[in-house]
Amino acid sequence: MGKTTYKRLKGSQSFRQRLLLATLSSTAVSIDDIRTDSTRPGLRPHEVSLVRLFEKICDDCVVVFNDTGTRVTYKPGIIMGGRNLVHDCGLSRSIGYFLEPLIVLALFAKKPLSIRLRGITNDSKDPSVDTFRSTTLPMLKHFGVPTEGLELKIESRGVAPGGGGEIILSIPTVQGLKAVTWIDEGMIKRIRGVTFSTRVSVQLENTAIHSARGIFNRLLPDVHIFTDHRTGPQAGKSPGYGMSLVAETTSGCFISTDTAVSYRGGNEEVEMEEEKTEIVPAEDLGEQTASALLGEIEQGGVVDSVHQGLLFLLCAACPPDVSKVRVGKLSPYGIGTLRNIRDFLGVTFVIKPDPSTETVILKCVGCGLKNFSKKVS
Amino acid sequence: HRNLMQVVYGAPATLSTSINRGQEHDDSEEEEFFKPKQEGKKNVGEGTEAEDVNVEDCSKFVRSPKSWKERDVVESIRDRFVTGDWSK
Repeated sequence: MGKTTYKRLKGSQSFRQRLLLATLSSTAVSIDDIRTDSTRPGLRPHEVSLVRLFEKICDDCVVVFNDTGTRVTYKPGIIMGGRNLVHDCGLSRSIGYFLEPLIVLALFAKKPLSIRLRGITNDSKDPSVDTFRSTTLPMLKHFGVPTEGLELKIESRGVAPGGGGEIILSIPTVQGLKAVTWIDEGMIKRIRGVTFSTRVSVQLENTAIHSARGIFNRLLPDVHIFTDHRTGPQAGKSPGYGMSLVAETTSGCFISTDTAVSYRGGNEEVEMEEEKTEIVPAEDLGEQTASALLGEIEQGGVVDSVHQGLLFLLCAACPPDVSKVRVGKLSPYGIGTLRNIRDFLGVTFVIKPDPSTETVILKCVGCGLKNFSKKVS
Repeated sequence: HRNLMQVVYGAPATLSTSINRGQEHDDSEEEEFFKPKQEGKKNVGEGTEAEDVNVEDCSKFVRSPKSWKERDVVESIRDRFVTGDWSK
């Protein structure tokens, strides 16, 4: 084969989507200047781990790092998928960081994916594994992804800094997605949720639930928040607790939000200093999570702000039919996603505000991403 | 009203700046030249990284919280719920 032409990119921004879109579009990329001016230059452990995960799922991809990790070249291979894979996501970002690109990647794999992911299941930076189960996976159904073989099982929970959580993710393959017209957000008919606690008293969960219910009381009676108290090996290595909530609408939309706090251990590595979290009292945590959910509901749209990126990715990957979706105010991540989609897939969205509802309508014609390994029946 | 297309994709003149230029090294300077303006917007609200091109890769977006305990604030979203008042 001839010399590979690399698409040249800069910086660590959108690292996940760049890898994903490079793979889906079979575009070789070379990323320079990764945190060159930072006190800790180069790729972070979670980014390296993500690359390793891609290597596990794909055949024949070629990755080269420079010595300092400030430059990486990636030549995508064939997305294979496969059963009974295992990956350690490490402890610098939670499993939620890995799930979004992984899910989309797996849809276009040769074989269905089932993978055991180890690491942090709940933290405040990335969507929790509960959110993925309650909100992200149902979202895929709108695009024609079969429910069979679509599953996320939480074997054990783990919070920072020690982790020790474990999930099993199963994603079926598709031949192609189905374009959507998804603009009816409906009305909120019920709120569900789950709290968890690891190596702390279950009382924290009850307190958090009580204060969350207090916020919803005036709006909706149909609120159920379950507890998931873990002990022993199922509780990972560090103490912590948190809450994930989801509001379900009459038109089948799910709006989610989640939070988690953990008690940093004494032998804390001087890692991300800006991340040192004060322990939030359970009462405040419940109130904050509930308030955040109402904030998302107020924004409107068929998905919450966290899922804008994934929504746009799925629309762009659809066959060359028009997809039309409604979201609330565009999030920075959503905007970044739209740019990445244009750069890699050549799909540009028509974006129009809907002043009467203060939402945004996006339309695009999918790039017709196909799973070439699946036979047309 | 701001033009959302421009907020996302940039003004028409700069539209192509971040699009694939293959291996043309000459363009890298130009890209950098146009970056700060676009990326500046993206950076709002998540200033954890100083460098724009290294902005943190995070899908969560934290809004300034409202006080949902207050009656007026709660009433402002009542009609998003099935329990809303639909006689209006």
